[in-house]
Amino acid sequence: MKLKKFLALAMTGAMALSMTACGSGDKKDDAGNNTSNTGSDNTGSNTGSNTGSNTGNASGAKEEVTLTMWGAEEDQTMLREMADAFIEANKDAVDLTIQIGVQSESTAKDTILTDVETAADVYSFPNDQLNELVAAGALMAIPDEMGRADIEARNTSGSVAAATVDGKLYAYPRTADNGYFLFYNKEYLSEADVASWSTMLEKAAAAGKKVTMEMNSGWYTYGFFKAVGLDSTLAENGVDTLCDWNSTTNSVKGIDVAQAMLDICKHEGFIATEDAEFVTGIKDGSIIAGINGVWNANAAQEAWGDNYAATKLPTFSAAGSEHQMYSVTGCKLVGVNPHCKNVGWALKLADWITNEANQVKSFELRGNGPSNINAAASDAVQANIAIAAFAKQQQWAAVQTVGGNFWGATETFGQTLQDGNPEGTDLQTLLDNMVAGITAPVQ
Amino acid sequence: MSKKNKSQANAMDDRMVAVEKEPNLFKAAFLALKNGDWAVKCSALWMGAGYLARKQYVKALIMTLYEVAMLAFIFVVGMPYLADFGTLGTVQLEYVFNMQTMKNEMNDYDNSFTILLFSVITFVAIVILFFSWLANLRAVHKLQKRAEAGKHINSFKEDVKSYLNEKFHITLLSLPVAGVVVFTVVPLIILIAVAFTNYDQQHMPPDSLFDWVGIENFTRLFTNGLTATFGYSFKTVLTWTLIWAFFATFSNYFLGIMLAKFLLNKKTKFPKFWRTIFVVTIAVPQFVTLLLIRNFLSDSGIVNSLFAQAGITDFLKDIGLVAEHLDYVPFLSSPGWAKVMVIIINIWVGVPYQMLVATGVLLNIPADMTESAKIDGANEWHSFWKITMPYMFAVTGPTLVTDFVRNINNFNVIYLLTQDVYVTTNQSLALSKAKEIDLLVTWLFRLTQENYNYKMASVIGIMVFIICAIFTLVAFRSLTKGDKERMFQ
Amino acid sequence: MKAKKIIKSVLRHGFLVVLCTIWLVPIVWIVLTSFSTDPGINIRNFFPEEYTLVNYHKLVFGSDTVSQFPNWFKNTLIVAIATCIISTSFVLMVAYAMSCMRFKARKTLMNLSVTINLFPGVLAMIAVYFVLKNAGLTNSHLGLVLVYSGSAGLGYLIAKGFFDTVPTTLREAATIDGASEARIFFRVVIPMSKPIIVYTIINSFLVPWADFVYAKLILNSGISSDWTVSIGLYNMLDRTLINHYFAQFCAGGVLVSIPISILFVIMQKFYVEGITNGAVKG
Repeated sequence: MKLKKFLALAMTGAMALSMTACGSGDKKDDAGNNTSNTGSDNTGSNTGSNTGSNTGNASGAKEEVTLTMWGAEEDQTMLREMADAFIEANKDAVDLTIQIGVQSESTAKDTILTDVETAADVYSFPNDQLNELVAAGALMAIPDEMGRADIEARNTSGSVAAATVDGKLYAYPRTADNGYFLFYNKEYLSEADVASWSTMLEKAAAAGKKVTMEMNSGWYTYGFFKAVGLDSTLAENGVDTLCDWNSTTNSVKGIDVAQAMLDICKHEGFIATEDAEFVTGIKDGSIIAGINGVWNANAAQEAWGDNYAATKLPTFSAAGSEHQMYSVTGCKLVGVNPHCKNVGWALKLADWITNEANQVKSFELRGNGPSNINAAASDAVQANIAIAAFAKQQQWAAVQTVGGNFWGATETFGQTLQDGNPEGTDLQTLLDNMVAGITAPVQ
Repeated sequence: MSKKNKSQANAMDDRMVAVEKEPNLFKAAFLALKNGDWAVKCSALWMGAGYLARKQYVKALIMTLYEVAMLAFIFVVGMPYLADFGTLGTVQLEYVFNMQTMKNEMNDYDNSFTILLFSVITFVAIVILFFSWLANLRAVHKLQKRAEAGKHINSFKEDVKSYLNEKFHITLLSLPVAGVVVFTVVPLIILIAVAFTNYDQQHMPPDSLFDWVGIENFTRLFTNGLTATFGYSFKTVLTWTLIWAFFATFSNYFLGIMLAKFLLNKKTKFPKFWRTIFVVTIAVPQFVTLLLIRNFLSDSGIVNSLFAQAGITDFLKDIGLVAEHLDYVPFLSSPGWAKVMVIIINIWVGVPYQMLVATGVLLNIPADMTESAKIDGANEWHSFWKITMPYMFAVTGPTLVTDFVRNINNFNVIYLLTQDVYVTTNQSLALSKAKEIDLLVTWLFRLTQENYNYKMASVIGIMVFIICAIFTLVAFRSLTKGDKERMFQ
Repeated sequence: MKAKKIIKSVLRHGFLVVLCTIWLVPIVWIVLTSFSTDPGINIRNFFPEEYTLVNYHKLVFGSDTVSQFPNWFKNTLIVAIATCIISTSFVLMVAYAMSCMRFKARKTLMNLSVTINLFPGVLAMIAVYFVLKNAGLTNSHLGLVLVYSGSAGLGYLIAKGFFDTVPTTLREAATIDGASEARIFFRVVIPMSKPIIVYTIINSFLVPWADFVYAKLILNSGISSDWTVSIGLYNMLDRTLINHYFAQFCAGGVLVSIPISILFVIMQKFYVEGITNGAVKG
């Protein structure tokens, strides 16, 4: 009879509970968890008053600041050291606590966009996620007063360009090695062999081994089309993509490139792999050359020992001539979340993590190629085989900026080629479909 | 007068039994307002009044507090959000960096999702308050009538006691129902509302606002073009979802029963031992086994190297099951193979469980049924189809329906086996982020997790609901018919 | 005649051996790989070249930023116990009310619960997340417990089916003796329902061990020591980690499975009784 009433009572109870919880949640900054809950519910108004009270604070006693930072699994120990040094360096000005969380860089965007407000204050990500993060308001443009000019001066122009959208600098370059080049095993292949796909594939097939690259990824296949001057770029609205990969008017047509790719895929000496399979393949000796990046340099060196070598990408043959394959100018960036409570300190931390000394450290500990001009010029960096190969490739490399529909369509296209185009679809049709997918308005 | 009242009450009671529905409540509340004394009428404004008049002080206090709390919540917390419900917010986030304080100063911006969330909570609160208001009126009116008839009026202690006896169901249900409302109903209402907005990656709070767009998303789901392929993808994915649900349900069902029967057969030695082996496979968490199987069967995985060594890959190539240029079997990476494999792996996952259920049911099979079959001289196969299966079907028929619905929503198997492994070669599917191997739920999940396309995900979710609802209605209707027939036998 | 019988028996058991082998291959592979000296995936041979306990040792004693197994295990155990208590109470409460009591809103509530169950669970996920966030419960194990157990009441059908089999005469007799509904619930129905209680306990206890979707969404601070076993292990298969942690993943899988398997094997009888009696009527 009074069921409804009682349910109602219970529900109000629950609601009242949640109300008090969120009321207090705003103030107490939940000791147990580290996220800076920037006014999750009554957002704006609260922040205003907070700022007010803190202004008084800044002039007086030492401020307490908690920052959270996300970095890749492999970088955790290194980041901790850098953060501790940062705390130490600023201990007179501020009482800092820095919590470091694990967030794989390749999926940073996915986690951050789910809820920007609770994402870390400072985080590391690869530059191909920059556009989407900026569009979602997850990155703070670095104000001129916070040393923007200095950042732009001390890092390579390519890495600065990769961190810039619409003339605003949105992140601190941390590495400038996020592109691809060729690893090979000197036991089977000579420097001359790896200059072109065709000789490399022949040698590999003769030895019963494989050459590899990831085909079903627009990040890699970009290198084939860019080589002949076909491009994919961001449209003016910042979300859609423009693409002429299916061009029939270019000196080398899109279909020629696709044919070249298909020939590679179908070659006996080729196997398409993704990252983890690449490592397994070089470990068990079945793969003797492959297009990949510095993150697998250690694995390759371990597996091949003295026979480990790396160089620029090979040429491929299309429409009767050889073309130098392109790479992307990619970097790892460190960005700051505008929803952070202490954005100033977050910016300083990001700056610290990416300064010259720490880039050198990051090179020494993790083999990351520095974006800092001075750090990159050091002898040790120059002597690193993988980074040297990456540098060699840089004259055939471009910053890749594309919209959201690029990845799915190129993945599908690459997969079809990788499968050897089993249905024998006309390549021009495949290209046209892909370009239709790439250029379709994001909805 | 009292007689009339009584007959009225009787009539009401009758109706209560006949239709267990709400109209009673409205009518009772209406009658309370019309016929109640001043205290009852007062209760329309002050919910404690009716109890106060009958000297139920504690109850009066509780109801007053309840009313104040609810009204305070609705007006203080809820109303500001509810006022923005029509627009879902108009003030976009802006901030300036203040060099002095080293902080960002944000404007008083609107967050469309928060507005939606609190609006829905407020709606729910208003509905609850309204119904409790009605129920309260009815209750105090009843109280008034009891007082007038000189009947006993419960003390607070007695009231509390009644919640352990005739009103025990209220005690039992209040917390679980509250849980369901907070963690299922409210979120579902919000997501249903999202289907009518443009909440996607271009309109993501807190940085941007989203807005109502009417049924645009539903039309999108049913249209198809070169650059808008949701219609095509929906059809493709739906077809596979239904095929999958059919095979996944029935393969598990029949194979599970057969296995159970096989193990129960007296000729099988150590049935417990065998059963335990199968049970162990249930106990290993699904994500561990499924992720493992994914690596087991990957293109460069161990099964493929063993197959290649043993020449099986070449044999499969010769008979045309594996494409000519491949040197591996694309177990989970080509549409045909992957679809067959997920169904087979699902058998691996589900049969032990089904076997357990079937064992229990089969043990309960009336002995005379099987005995009579033996006397009739029926062989095992015959008795399986003529006796065991009809019995099983009669008993577990309804679970078949729920299993079918569960398989339509079977997220784990497909997601864990094909995520990161399966790449579609169909551009139309790729454009709407679907894959051949996707079920509606996995598609929906990836739309939200990888593409933040909440609007389309919500639309798909609603479609899944409609499909499941239609199926359940039809299936249960025919099942209950069947049951009646069986009862006559 | 006898020979034929023996052959038949051999065939029968041979068939069973084959079936069990198929069912055990992945399990055996986990166990073998967990003892492998190769930390990555061995793709050439089913059996590792050398055996070692180092993966278990690393997992249990050598926590690094990736692998925090002892913490995960503790977290999951706490969450699982709390979930188990709340869920089981909710399920039994709702089932008793729906099965043994008669009240006006009963049919409506039952129909509503069936309807709600038809919505795909993953749909409401993001909204659940924001509800929790506004309650300040994200990144807390309490939040996770609430998500796992809050809606547990919806899964009452099998328990209701079981309660339906409790003879009404027993309850009537108790009522005549003057027992209240609460007393009947605790003293008559609950003691008779051991199988369904065991079934419900096992099922709700397993939820936190198996779920990675909600856990990943809610524990999103990236602090790996806060994770549950499932997100932690899932994370080990990340592209950049799999070649170093696959063996540890397997070892983790084994360590999680052992207690659950034992639980299952011991409780098998009740589990079967619970589900069959429940499903028959439900």
